[in-house]
Amino acid sequence: MLPTESENGFGANWADVWQQFKQRINSGERFWQPNTTVHLIARDRLLDARQLQAIADTLAETELHLKRVYTSRRQTAVAAATAGFSVEQHTPISHLNQTTESGQALAEPLYVEATVRSGMEIRHPGTVVILGDVNPGSSIVAYGDIVVWGSLRGVAHAGSGGNDRCLIMALRLEPTQLRIGEHVARAPEKPPAQFQPEVAYVASEGIRITKSTDFTKLRLVSQ
Amino acid sequence: MSRVIVITSGKGGVGKTTTTANLGMALAQRGRKVAVVDADFGLRNLDLLLGLENRIVYTAVEVLAGECRLDQALIKDKRQPNLALLPAAQNRTKDAVTPEQMKQLVGSLTESFEYVLIDCPAGIEMGFQNAIASATEALIVTTPEISAVRDADRVVGLLEANDVRKQHLIVNRLKPAMVQENLMMSVSDVQEILAIPLIGVIPDDERVIVSTNKGEPLVLSAKMSLAGIAYDNIARRLEGEKVPFLDLTAAYDDLFSRIRRMFRSPSR
Repeated sequence: MLPTESENGFGANWADVWQQFKQRINSGERFWQPNTTVHLIARDRLLDARQLQAIADTLAETELHLKRVYTSRRQTAVAAATAGFSVEQHTPISHLNQTTESGQALAEPLYVEATVRSGMEIRHPGTVVILGDVNPGSSIVAYGDIVVWGSLRGVAHAGSGGNDRCLIMALRLEPTQLRIGEHVARAPEKPPAQFQPEVAYVASEGIRITKSTDFTKLRLVSQ
Repeated sequence: MSRVIVITSGKGGVGKTTTTANLGMALAQRGRKVAVVDADFGLRNLDLLLGLENRIVYTAVEVLAGECRLDQALIKDKRQPNLALLPAAQNRTKDAVTPEQMKQLVGSLTESFEYVLIDCPAGIEMGFQNAIASATEALIVTTPEISAVRDADRVVGLLEANDVRKQHLIVNRLKPAMVQENLMMSVSDVQEILAIPLIGVIPDDERVIVSTNKGEPLVLSAKMSLAGIAYDNIARRLEGEKVPFLDLTAAYDDLFSRIRRMFRSPSR
């Protein structure tokens, strides 16, 4: 189910996490089925009763129900239990073993239905599909492909784990910067006279952009 | 039900305070009881634009500290008694107030006023957070320039994250001549990026500078300038009226400019 994962200490403070949480809820609205249960994976983040209640209330607005809280902090466990959620407490997962091994399966694709505004960053260990525009000043970082059903004007980084074979696709490709795997490229100086759906991929010379209609032919030939 | 509207932009100098002053006055002229709140602690300007600076005795800070009542701090405009101003403190900074305190203040204002317009400071830090704390609607002001639009986009994202869903766009300081010559972003270029409903377009007008210096909002003049009419139209649209947008390019669309445009190559 939907996990709210947060790292320990040096990461985001509550205000930032809260903003991200709200944006995530808002951009998936169409797909939340009423009465789905939600498990909150808090790991070693400290959450008090007020914050837990705020999370539960926001979820309730879209008819999602917070049922269980997984945590490794005693205080969070106590707060959750007092608030009436079922709690599972476990010892902290040793982070030493959390290397990204090659061959790790991609997470499920992330489907975002929103305009990604300047200053927003979407990171996902899988493919990202955006129904909307990606405005300049924002960035999408995905382990897999990036598909933008709209205008891509910000920064897109596909295959962020080092995979050169990932693709970036958009109805209107006008990015500030494109990155695939380890490659970086700027958009061409002259935009095309007529915008068409395009695909960006890595060829021997670096990142190349081609019309989506030509891309399928390319694929067949190189296969 | 009172409407609490924050007028914000991200970028400084695009016309938030001018908009707050003129919209507040225009709504008051239509018979609504309007309170305008200056949330720019430390760099207050709203009182200047309304010409009420020398009547300030108490500010919002004294109200919050309990040193005076809210109605003692509110300044009723003598030209238009439906309008009242809650001034900010000039000798403090943005950290003098918290979002909870702003909510408190605005809450007490909604009891006696139909509209509460909050003039937001530039930026996205504490001042901004304070101003949007109790707002349910927002008017995003931007000029048709790439930097202003970029900042406005950031602000729209932050407002969405803070549950202020009712947002409308005001494009200020449009120069129709430059738009015709493709030297300035058009309103549709701005809308393309910001993607929020448009509520008004205000042309660039020298009379704004004059009105600021005199402390007399544009909408008060008997012979209204184009900008004043535009502000009045926004007030009407806020009230629910369907008002067609002014055709600002009419003065610039003669035969010569059309021929010139034909020969000019499109620039980015």
